[in-house]
Amino acid sequence: MTILEPVSEVDVEVTVNGRSHRHRVAARLLLSDYIRDTVGLTGTHLGCEHGYCGACTVIVDGDAVRSCLMLTVQADGAEIRTVEDLAPEGASSLSPMQQSFHDNHALQCGFCTAGILMTLESVDPTDWSEPERIIELLSGNLCRCTGYQNIVAAVAQAWNSEGDV
Amino acid sequence: MKPAPFDYCRPATVVEAVEALGSAESGRVLAGGQSLIPAMNFRLTDVSLLVDIGHVTDLPGVDTEVAGVTVGATATQSRVLNDDDAARVVPGLRAALRHVGHLQIRNRGTVCGSIAHADPAAELPALAVAAGAVIGITGPDGHRTVAASDFFLGPFWTALSDAEVVTEVHFPAAPVGSVTSVDEISRRAGDFAVAGLVAVIEVGDGAVRSARLVGFGVGGAPARLASAEAAMAGWAPDHPDRRLMEAAVEDTADAFDDIHATAWYRREAVATLLVRAARRALANGETS
Repeated sequence: MTILEPVSEVDVEVTVNGRSHRHRVAARLLLSDYIRDTVGLTGTHLGCEHGYCGACTVIVDGDAVRSCLMLTVQADGAEIRTVEDLAPEGASSLSPMQQSFHDNHALQCGFCTAGILMTLESVDPTDWSEPERIIELLSGNLCRCTGYQNIVAAVAQAWNSEGDV
Repeated sequence: MKPAPFDYCRPATVVEAVEALGSAESGRVLAGGQSLIPAMNFRLTDVSLLVDIGHVTDLPGVDTEVAGVTVGATATQSRVLNDDDAARVVPGLRAALRHVGHLQIRNRGTVCGSIAHADPAAELPALAVAAGAVIGITGPDGHRTVAASDFFLGPFWTALSDAEVVTEVHFPAAPVGSVTSVDEISRRAGDFAVAGLVAVIEVGDGAVRSARLVGFGVGGAPARLASAEAAMAGWAPDHPDRRLMEAAVEDTADAFDDIHATAWYRREAVATLLVRAARRALANGETS
């Protein structure tokens, strides 16, 4: 919807994990803060808030994006998925990738994990399952605990490629 | 790390966007926002009105013809990176975009936005100069075009005036038989380059015929390396590397020191990348 007169607040309508939300938000509200504070889904973590760490990665209309580098008003009309969508409340099991992270000890503190899972969820594994491609894919998400070896192993196992890289 | 308050508008046409920019005290264009929003989060930039061109309908997409590729202002880096036609006509686009940010950044960031932003360490401005791109600009007085070589004036400084929008960038087709490479030295994958080089090299009979060379991360604005281009013409693998390296060092006199590298290191790095590019072009050129 076109907005020609400058405004400081905007009405937005977004779908988050299949549920639609309408809010009037400040133009300056970051999507990351909207997801956490307005919608109340705190699985999305905020690390650096300037696009460096990737902890806040969510999926917007199918693409992995940094939610701290997107304004809520830019997501108007979009379909957003967050980590809460991978194993919804009441689900009896984790998603296969989450289970593989668990099995491979691919997280320690877990702060970066939501962003990594959403990056992985956004891509077609057939394009990314080679070990070198997995490493390239993970380069946009910082992890300070694991040294990445176990994350790569978890991804490789979940996508049925060779685990030893 | 939150942006300060600002006003926002969302025009549907380029003309409306230009009018909005003209009416603002300090208006900025928001396309992908992958450089602008971090700058706003850091409060490094003062914005009174953000003009979101994400819903503007009269902009080109990614149009590939025999003569070249035209990329509209809202086309994301991911979209151009994954466009096989564009990569065939202008191989430098894919070669450069592989180095830009990460997947998540490229999914939002735009090609035109990177060019308008004019970060001296960015790949796309250097590619624009090396490829002889033409920047399409719309402002209060209508549409005009500026050659990339005249567009970049210094760090984050371009020929764009306050009420103007980069609407499209046209990259001419790479010369037949040329090899384009974009190579850089950076501290981590996806980081801005400590030093980098875009090279469009034409080869024949086992030697370089001509080269268009642009360094990035070394000086204020991307510019062609004139001495290195002269030194590379006629160069063959059995010629000494030294000729190329000395020319590259000569061309990068405005290299700077910072926490990541000294000016000397940057000049040496460009010289090394230059030799690599020449050898790779000759190896690939012979087989293609």
